[in-house]
Amino acid sequence: MGNSRFLNARAGIVALLLTGLAAGGISHHVSAAAPAVVGIAAAIVNDVRIKSTAARQFAKAAVRQRVALADQVQTGGASKLQLLLLDRSKFTVGANARLTIDRFVYNPNGSAMSATVAKGALRFMSGRAGGGADRSITSPSATIGVRGTLLDVVVGGEAVAIARGEREVRDVDQHDPATATLVVLRGPGPRRQGNDAPGEVDVAAGGETVTLDNPLEAAYVPYAGARPIPFTISSPGVARLNDMLLQPREILYDPDAPGQPTMPQPERDRPYYDYPPPGGFGGDGPRPSGGGYGPGNIPGLNVLPTAPNRPERPTRPGRETQPMPNPGQTSTPPSDNRPTGTINTPEPTPTPTPTSTPQPSPTPTYSPQPQQTPVPSRTQSPNDDVIVR
Amino acid sequence: MGIRISLAALCGSLIAIAPPLQAETPAELDALARATATPTAGIALARRQVAAGDMLDALATLERVILNNPQSNEARLLHAAVMCRLDDRQGAMVELDQVRGRQIADAAWAEANEACSDGRER
Repeated sequence: MGNSRFLNARAGIVALLLTGLAAGGISHHVSAAAPAVVGIAAAIVNDVRIKSTAARQFAKAAVRQRVALADQVQTGGASKLQLLLLDRSKFTVGANARLTIDRFVYNPNGSAMSATVAKGALRFMSGRAGGGADRSITSPSATIGVRGTLLDVVVGGEAVAIARGEREVRDVDQHDPATATLVVLRGPGPRRQGNDAPGEVDVAAGGETVTLDNPLEAAYVPYAGARPIPFTISSPGVARLNDMLLQPREILYDPDAPGQPTMPQPERDRPYYDYPPPGGFGGDGPRPSGGGYGPGNIPGLNVLPTAPNRPERPTRPGRETQPMPNPGQTSTPPSDNRPTGTINTPEPTPTPTPTSTPQPSPTPTYSPQPQQTPVPSRTQSPNDDVIVR
Repeated sequence: MGIRISLAALCGSLIAIAPPLQAETPAELDALARATATPTAGIALARRQVAAGDMLDALATLERVILNNPQSNEARLLHAAVMCRLDDRQGAMVELDQVRGRQIADAAWAEANEACSDGRER
């Protein structure tokens, strides 16, 4: 009897505690003095530095170091990073990149995250978003609304270098290596396996929004104020993205070598796509003869498709331009006025201000006069869903 | 009776706190990071995540393995296989091209073949 009373009381206390936890969820309430931890640095290669809001200088980061809201994260040359956020969102960040998590709201009714990438390449993999999620990534020239997806973003000279190799955008005559932004949707596509929902991305820039909803659909914004140009990235372009994110040595962009990026020779044999020919890659192009992807005793591997694995996307009728504010014109932030953010707070958190404003570097290819770039009809109508406004 | 009521409350609470977002704590993220300390352990974790249908988690796990061990050809091959499962087959082909001719176990090639030769539901 005494035992059962004890058990009864103990179970009741546990239930009470759990109920309290359920009501409060993860109660990291954030004060201005102590910005909330939003994730960790799960992998670090070479020189990665983090600057908290309270710090004056960047400090070298360590594996499993906590990353807080509004921390500025920076990778050096030949350096890489992976960030894991509390909602299981992931960022794999390439060399010479700068990233800030500006906003992070996480509660059972939904989650919200916004980040700013000032330069460099990153891959975003969304986490688990029950009840809907509002995620966005801001670059100096574009705002990228993310719905459950895997996407690559490149900001800066490497974006220009990749775009110059793509047949559909290589004729763009103005690029700003400081603000140019390339966005590539990598998945999940309609034929995906597993639990992840199909990915979709809205790229808003220059008053227009382009929606990407199939793997390898891409949008290029050549400078702040320009409209996004949709295209399908080629295999060589994908190879360069992979190199920037996952190869041990980064590809360097040399603005003094117009038309041809400077790329160090990697250890492996160079495949045909590493150097764009004069005038660009020109799409997928012919593949080398004798192609195959594995040992000859694996049947079927050599018959894998070498072209985009989906039919040409038809133009969507009736899609019109949707006026939107240009994020490139509104990204000047006072660093001491950054949001501290709240986790598990249903109310919307203040819209973050980007933490860094890259200064456009003078280059022969950049003109401050925005020119209207040709935009195919794959734009967004006011009736379409838009995450980022 | 008291125990029954408390247990019911406990079960109810457990259901209530099963967060639809599957919140992580920094300590749980630490455990994920530690799980990729070696290529073998990381690849095993990625395979479990693939089996559970968590392809984006598996992809991130393999990318941690590759960052820490860039010479892990098996991780690169499995990364390509997961890209296929996410329906980025052309992107996966590029990655397969990059590991072509390298020493990788036939079983891993077979796994990639299975993932990439049929993009439809398994």
